[in-house]
Amino acid sequence: MRVTTNLIFDQNLRAINTSQGSLSDIQTQLASGKKLLRPSDDPVGASQVIRLTEEIDKISQYQRNNDLVTNALELQETSLRTINDVLNRARVLTVQAGNGIMSEADKQALGSEIEQIRNQVVDLMNTQNASGEYIFAGFQSATQAFEFNPTATDNHIRFVGDDGTNSVQLSDSVTIQSTSTGKTVFEDVRARLNYSVDNAVGATIETSKIKNQGTFDAFHQQNFDPANPLNNEYQFRITVANEVEITNIGSGLVVETMPFVSGELISFNGAEITANAVPGDSFTLSLNRPEKTNVAETLHNLFLALNDSTLSQEDFNSRIDDTLVGIDNGLNKMARENSSVGARLNIAQSVTGSLLDAEIANQKARSSIEDVDYAEASSAFAKQETALEAAFASFPRIANLSLFNYI
Amino acid sequence: MIRNADLFTMATSGLNASNKLLATTSNNIANINSEGYVRERTEFTSRLGGGVDFGFTDRVLDVFAQNQLRRDTSTVGEHQAFNDRVSSLDNVLAAEANSISASMTRFFAAVQTATDDPTNMPSRDAIIGEATGMLNRINQMGDFFKDKEQEVELQIQNIVSTANGLVQQIGDLNEAIQVAQGSSTVDTPSKLLNQRDQAILELSELVAIDVRRSSNRDDGVVVNLTSGESLVLADGTFNVFAIGGEPDYTNRDLKLVTNYAPPKNNTTINILEQKLGGAIGGIYRYREQVLEPAQRDLGKLATALADTLNTQNRQGMDLDRQLGQDLFSIAEFRGINYPENSNLELGIQGRIIPGAGGEITSNDYKVTVLTAPSGNPATFDVEVAAITTDGRPVLDNENNPITQVSTITAELGTYNATIGGIELQFDDGASYAVGDAFLVQPTRLAAANLSITTTRAEDLAFAKPLRINMSIDNLGDAQLINTSVSNTVVDNTGSDPRTSGFNGNYGIQDVSESPSPIFGAPAKVRFTSDDAYEVLDNNNQVITTVTGATDLNNLLSQAKDNGVPAWPVEFAALDDYPGYDFSLQGRPVANDEFTLEYNNNGVNDNRNALDMALLQQEDYVRLSDGTQGNKATFNEAYASLVGQVGSASAGSKVELEAAKVMQVQSSEWFESTSGVSLDEEAANLIQFQQSYAAAARILTTAQEMFDTILQAAR
Repeated sequence: MRVTTNLIFDQNLRAINTSQGSLSDIQTQLASGKKLLRPSDDPVGASQVIRLTEEIDKISQYQRNNDLVTNALELQETSLRTINDVLNRARVLTVQAGNGIMSEADKQALGSEIEQIRNQVVDLMNTQNASGEYIFAGFQSATQAFEFNPTATDNHIRFVGDDGTNSVQLSDSVTIQSTSTGKTVFEDVRARLNYSVDNAVGATIETSKIKNQGTFDAFHQQNFDPANPLNNEYQFRITVANEVEITNIGSGLVVETMPFVSGELISFNGAEITANAVPGDSFTLSLNRPEKTNVAETLHNLFLALNDSTLSQEDFNSRIDDTLVGIDNGLNKMARENSSVGARLNIAQSVTGSLLDAEIANQKARSSIEDVDYAEASSAFAKQETALEAAFASFPRIANLSLFNYI
Repeated sequence: MIRNADLFTMATSGLNASNKLLATTSNNIANINSEGYVRERTEFTSRLGGGVDFGFTDRVLDVFAQNQLRRDTSTVGEHQAFNDRVSSLDNVLAAEANSISASMTRFFAAVQTATDDPTNMPSRDAIIGEATGMLNRINQMGDFFKDKEQEVELQIQNIVSTANGLVQQIGDLNEAIQVAQGSSTVDTPSKLLNQRDQAILELSELVAIDVRRSSNRDDGVVVNLTSGESLVLADGTFNVFAIGGEPDYTNRDLKLVTNYAPPKNNTTINILEQKLGGAIGGIYRYREQVLEPAQRDLGKLATALADTLNTQNRQGMDLDRQLGQDLFSIAEFRGINYPENSNLELGIQGRIIPGAGGEITSNDYKVTVLTAPSGNPATFDVEVAAITTDGRPVLDNENNPITQVSTITAELGTYNATIGGIELQFDDGASYAVGDAFLVQPTRLAAANLSITTTRAEDLAFAKPLRINMSIDNLGDAQLINTSVSNTVVDNTGSDPRTSGFNGNYGIQDVSESPSPIFGAPAKVRFTSDDAYEVLDNNNQVITTVTGATDLNNLLSQAKDNGVPAWPVEFAALDDYPGYDFSLQGRPVANDEFTLEYNNNGVNDNRNALDMALLQQEDYVRLSDGTQGNKATFNEAYASLVGQVGSASAGSKVELEAAKVMQVQSSEWFESTSGVSLDEEAANLIQFQQSYAAAARILTTAQEMFDTILQAAR
């Protein structure tokens, strides 16, 4: 090939330009620590990096959520545990109050302790978090969850929040409930199931009480009809054969027939009734609609009973029974809530673990796409440097070669 | 052998020849740095009678090498133009500070943080801050694309006028060369030829051309586009490029205008710009394949993001207990008149159907009036066809063009829904004529024109406007598992078909506000057994009763479908009424009640915020045009935009490198034939100097011989 003067200069200049370009690219890689300087360096990698970065950012946000939800749940756990402790104390006091040998003064002394416990429970049911929100008030957290009104005729301690519960996202797929409403935890607690006796025709009721609450509860739960009240009424009629015939008024079916001796106990599914009656007389037993009473209300009722000297022993005992069942049901409910909170805390913890794994995996993946391999880049740099030096060194020597220098 | 010339004559001709050779050599040396100079050689033949003739100086040229160089220059020109522009997009997308993706992630993270404590004002403010930041990134990127678009327009204008100048120059030189050729038979007009070759080479950088010798054997050249259209003719006439802009004057296209001598009429010829090659082809290819699609993809992402967030916020309740409003305002767009329209003052206006952000595609649409307007308000049929940025129809998954013919009502204030999630308003009433057409570009400027409507942190609707309370007297264990709100449009007059059951006054519509004359909106569900329930309004009127429910999901929707008596016709006629629903699980018993109420004071509710945060990982942005359009998350949509520009840039980089190698190759080939080598010229200089000295010696020899003869005769 015929080599012309311009060719020599062009070729050398091109070589130097190319070398300098690559050298500057490698230098930028080394300085920034990234081999993906612009999307065109690796278009697929660039879009992967965007997704991985989003994942990593999302994970750190989830960790934040996790911390906050853990705090919130721990606050709930603490409140519930404290209520649990004081309720157990109240239960002991209730059993003590029911032992039958208490004087009025003793009862009043117990009453003032129960009052303290009630106040403490109401206070705990209105627990506030660090930012002043009532944690058991549902969505209306700016106002307190329970209102105490001592002058109300019934329901002195009333739930004024709502059913709202919040959730928090812990990962792309896991969302856990972060709050509980006082309505489910405290308010939705069954009071003692009971019955009432009325419509007596000729018969006089001497005593009437639940001897075996368990048996009665089972019967009540099985047979209570919320829709048709007549199905809940049982007529006790004394027949000529001195038997008591028990008929369900709603269905008209005879449920049971048993011998009857006036003035002696009739036992019916845990309930015990003593009646003076002759054949032809009758009375009706109605299953009461189940009621719900929050534990603070239960304690308040006990406090009222302890301070009410006009109450008959029988009524007082029945209040004690109400209180014991109310406290037990309340404790049960809280135990369930507590275990649910605990379960959620466990979920939060295990999600943290898996998120950490995912974060490391994602970071590794991102790093392998965009981070520079220093060893490789440094050796490439050295190589390119040598090439450029060689070009610099050889250029003037070639350029100086001219026939004109010799003629 | 006849030698009738004497020594003197031969010596003189030899001296002249050497002189001329030395002149050519000197000229070569002097022009070593002249752009486009082709080395020359003077060649001699011996005279018949002895001595050497005048000689003929010509350029040393390989036409094949020259043509190859022109082709390779066109290729480099095209890829260089494409690559220069794509890499500026590439660099902008690479900058982390500009990343829309990072700003979206930060926005959603702020929403997540706020869900943890919905009443916390600083975290609400943080969301507004991040939303503004995200919007700024989107605006910035949108403006950048807009600037690039304008830049391309200017560049096209410049480059086209340069090309036209070169075309004219080549035509003029053709003529000048013919004249010069006619006046001198000895030497070729090298200077003019070099100039013409240089002009052709420069033109080949701008547009791919074919160059042929004129068929008239007169040294003229014919220059054609590679697609065959003539640019320069042998007789000196030429055709020039003209810039058109129809219908979009901001989006220029090219035509070729003929320059015939009368009486032949001139015409314009349409050319396919992307196939032109050279820098013009490269710029057009960049505009059609990278810039415009990327701009529309960004607009699509911005629109889908803004609309989805708007929709979610509208479905919620803000800190002021009001129903949520739009957070962002998506700009409306005007239709552009096609030049053939009956009246170029006509207009149409378009906007995104609220809530249809997921339907948006990156297509443009051509709206054509099919029938004459009739009636008052005027109605007529229009065809809406999806087109690409260069006007070709967009095909669906079965390769049919995506079009829709529908009857629209033309009046101010009436928006007619059409395909692709947009609705159009024909505000000029009955003035439209059959054949009128408009170009609608929903996404082109969407990113640049997106704006935020609120900066009040209280306006973020974190709560749902509805809460369901179970009665404390419920004996069953049915629990609420889900409350959904899909519509919160308020209209208590019953005229808007989009209305929901909310009355806009912190409550649910009662009978006087609802569309029905008998019932208010559903406000309570009361069970009559474990699988039957009544739906009541807030006046405890039974709207309908459902029996035999197999599950307790979406109780109101079940009532709508299966209730007895049937769901009120006034309710059923509406788009989405009441716009809320709920699901239970567990077993209810008779007389269990669930009350639906407006979420008054429900400030701690984060349900809507949670749904808003979830938008981040759900697929909302449409990716393909097919009817079964698959969708992607916002981030994936952005990643795919970056990936597309990146791969276009990476591809063009490779192409450019390859083209440059080819060009180096052909330029070396050309240079090795036509370039000046100083060493060679130095050798020539010595050689011709010697031949000059030798010729001079002949003269002295002749002189001596003459003297010898004279002396001998003395």
